[in-house]
Parts: sequence; structure tokens; C-alpha cells
Amino acid sequence: MSNSVTNHRGERPARVPAGLAAMAAVIAGGLVGSGMRAAALLRWPAAPGAFPVSTLAINLAGAFLLGLFLARRQRSVAGPRSVQFWAIGVLGSFTTFSLFSLEIFELLDGGHAAVGLAHAAASTLGGVALAILGARLGEVGQ
Amino acid sequence: MTWVVATVAGSLGAALRYLVGGAVQRRGRGTLPVGTAAVNLTGAFVLGVILGTGHSGWPWIAAAAVMGGFTTFSTWMVETVALGVVPRPSLRAVINLYGLAALGVLVVALGYYSTN
Repeated sequence: MSNSVTNHRGERPARVPAGLAAMAAVIAGGLVGSGMRAAALLRWPAAPGAFPVSTLAINLAGAFLLGLFLARRQRSVAGPRSVQFWAIGVLGSFTTFSLFSLEIFELLDGGHAAVGLAHAAASTLGGVALAILGARLGEVGQ
Repeated sequence: MTWVVATVAGSLGAALRYLVGGAVQRRGRGTLPVGTAAVNLTGAFVLGVILGTGHSGWPWIAAAAVMGGFTTFSTWMVETVALGVVPRPSLRAVINLYGLAALGVLVVALGYYSTN
């Protein structure tokens, strides 16, 4: 009887159109990711002219976790719904490009060029390094 | 209250990113991740516009939060790595990383000065 309501991965077959289910997964993940980002940014806002530590920490953590998630997923049977929830929803909206760009603009515009360039360098170099590190850990952890 | 608005608006942004980013990526013929670039640059421009208006009421907070969820840093990084950075960075990876970083600041400035 249980076989009739679950597929080979033990999941229930989709009863809603795939596009709607995908969108629901993205939105649900988006609530989690946006909620965590908003909570962190409201709790630890960056002072004008100061290094935006919160945004950097959020973006670097997200890059690491996405590298880790995608590497682990390659060797698992996780379906597209988990990618839509975790990768596109949670981690996609936890991290932010618009705020990163805005902070650099404000720092450059406000005469804090060194801080702005440091934010840009730490984010880009650190983000790439942590995405690679996450992927490597995801591969060896299998 | 701000947290609730930002959270709900951010998830709306994620849904828009899924739709718009996917549509742009399917149209792109090349191998560059143009879907992520399109949403990130659009979102940065709009955030610059919002900053330029100087408004700080709920609709503007919600709009800024939509852009926070619409744009993404993690996908940008993973896609850059996928373009090849080890052992030597490929030209496409460098363009995707530093080109987009520079354009992001530029479009924020464009948005800001178009309304301020």
C-alpha cells in the first residue's frame, strides 16, 4: 500500500503542477533565507563608513554552503525540489549582490575608498575561495 | 515588523529571480551565466534608485528587501568557480567575477544619480 503513494525515493508523487511546486519550494526557501539575512542585518547593522562585516559574513557563508550543497548533491539522489528550496531559495536569498554593490558605492561615494575596495576584494576573493572549499569538503565527505 | 516585511518581500524577490533568471539564461546562447548577471545588475540598479529617492517608508523598505532576495551572491560565486578558476583562472571567470562586481557598483551609481 505504501508503495502506491511513494516513488522509488520514498517521496510522494507530485499532485500539483511541477512549475507550481518548484515556485512553492523557491518561495519557502526564500522565506528562510531572507528571514535569516534580515535578522542578521537588523541585529548587526553596518555603521556609515565602517566595514560592512555582516554583509561580508552572510555572503561568504552562503558561497561556502552553496559549494558544499551542490557538491554533495552530485553524489546523492536529491531531486530538483531540494535545489529549488536550498540553492535557489534559502542560499540564493540569504546572500545578496544588490546590498554588496550598494555598500561599495556608498563607501566610495562617502570618501571611504579603501574600505570599499577592501569589501569588494574580500567578498570576491573570499567568495570564490570558500565556494571551492565547500565543494572540496562536499566531495571528500561522501 | 520590519523583519516580517523584509522576510516576505525577500521571498517574493527569490520567486522573481527564479522566473527572470531562468528565462534570461534560456535565451542566452553563450556559456556565461547571463541569468544571474541580469538579475544582479537589475536588482543593484533598482536599489540605487531607491537609495537616490531618499524615501524610507514601508513601501521603500519592502522594495529594497525584494531586491535583497532578487539578487544573489552565492550563485554568482559558484558559477564563477564553474567557469574555471583552478589552477589558473579562465578569462571568462575573471570577467564574470570582476566585470560583474564593477558593473554592480556602476549601476547602483546610475540608479542613485538618476533620482538624486
